[in-house]
Amino acid sequence: MKELKFLLALWKTNLQSAMEYRISFLSQMIGMILNNFMYFAIWIIFFDRFKDVRGWGVNDMYVTFGVLASAFGLVSLLFGNAFMLSDIIAKGRLDYYLSLPRPVLLHTVASRMIASGMGDFTYGFISYGLSGYFTWDGLARYVLATLLAATVFGAFLILTQSLAFWFGMMSNFSNLVLNAMLTFGIYPITLFDSYAKLILFTIIPAALMGAIPAEFIRTFTWQTLGQLLFGAFAFLALAILVFRLGLRRYESGSAIQIEI
Amino acid sequence: MKTFAKYWSIFQITLVNSLAYPGELIGRSVMIIPFMWIFYQLWKVTFNAAGAEIIGGLSLRDTLWYLMLAETIELGRPPLARTMSENVKDGSIAYILNKPYDFLLYQFSACMGETIFRAIVNAIFGSITVWFLVGAPNQPEGFLIVLPAILGAWTLHFCINAMIGLSAFAVEDVSAFTWIYQKLVFIFGGFLIPLDFYPQWLQIISKALPFASSIYGPARLFVTPSVDLFINVMSLQIGWIIVLSLLLVVIYRRGLTQLTVNGG
Repeated sequence: MKELKFLLALWKTNLQSAMEYRISFLSQMIGMILNNFMYFAIWIIFFDRFKDVRGWGVNDMYVTFGVLASAFGLVSLLFGNAFMLSDIIAKGRLDYYLSLPRPVLLHTVASRMIASGMGDFTYGFISYGLSGYFTWDGLARYVLATLLAATVFGAFLILTQSLAFWFGMMSNFSNLVLNAMLTFGIYPITLFDSYAKLILFTIIPAALMGAIPAEFIRTFTWQTLGQLLFGAFAFLALAILVFRLGLRRYESGSAIQIEI
Repeated sequence: MKTFAKYWSIFQITLVNSLAYPGELIGRSVMIIPFMWIFYQLWKVTFNAAGAEIIGGLSLRDTLWYLMLAETIELGRPPLARTMSENVKDGSIAYILNKPYDFLLYQFSACMGETIFRAIVNAIFGSITVWFLVGAPNQPEGFLIVLPAILGAWTLHFCINAMIGLSAFAVEDVSAFTWIYQKLVFIFGGFLIPLDFYPQWLQIISKALPFASSIYGPARLFVTPSVDLFINVMSLQIGWIIVLSLLLVVIYRRGLTQLTVNGG
């Protein structure tokens, strides 16, 4: 409860800080919505010509792309530093968070808001609305699926970026796995054989951010809900464990820094 | 000649600089491997579902090699607009503007120097992957014929990106413009889907735009090389380069009058 209050206070401060530059915030949000619509136009062109990919049509893509965008946006908004964690670790900037009486990981990742995330988050809902699958109970499932997909995504970011405790600067690797996660998450799951699917549920859990949440939104099944819940909690637990193990190896940057 | 030597030196310095961190260079380029693999999965299924060996004049093998070159051109490009925007935001642009060289030619030389090895490493990884998945390109001579078109594509990209970067003189943050430009390249450039697979009306529009000259033209020339296509691609590119570079110079001159340096 105490940590939740702390989180809410952090998010409020981040929002106020972003709102200081309202025009920039709005332009980034609208720019990102437009950007996503333009990207999705590629899929509209593709499915207009080829109709479906092993039973996967443009409507399924609307839901998959939507939930992936919302989950990505949610992590960008609420835990923006998760994208930069390896940089923070490698440059010794954890000193600031270590010196304060709050959970280090939570404080670090929640200390930044990426304004364009609001555009991604909003776009996802629009995309779901346009999918033709919209129902009110589907919307409730959409919200739940977004939360669970965002947990998987956030945990995956923390997990991969925490490797900086062992390997130092690794922004290239971080970008690589981030791109892989988003790229694989957006493509129809029916494209992949069983070995590839195994990878997409484990090493790069893109299926838990795109295809499985989308399946859960379209039709409720205990199986998909179980997969999502298990995936979210397992990845979160693993991410926290790896971060804590890494923190024992952390060496201070000894740099004088001011966190704004 | 002395002027040319100056920019040649800038090109050489950034070229050598780009090799300073080979691990980073390779790490950045490895991404083309999963991209090509996923493209292979998608287009293999699509060609099978369509029950056709050839779609829009391209076989599955051509399509994969087309996409490899498109990715190489795109992934090899440095983030010029973002760099220029950061230079404006942190004030370091003041140090570039007061040096005895032309700002735009400096940026062009540096941009090209940064591009070459990025593209080569991407092409190596991409080619190995595609070769392994679908075999050698049908017409390997495409590798040689396409080189001037790739150079033209990067020049076109430089003109557009520099214009976006220069808009930082007025608006400082250019990220929204870069996202939109990237998506225009995706759609009208034929970056993810060859333009030949588009409906006829969209093909006509797309092929007339500069985005197609920076991706589709070179990539198509690479997989189906011919003298006619070479002349067509190069003449379109040269036309767009002339128009856009003139526009760039005008925007640069106007932009200088609006520049406010905040720090440095």
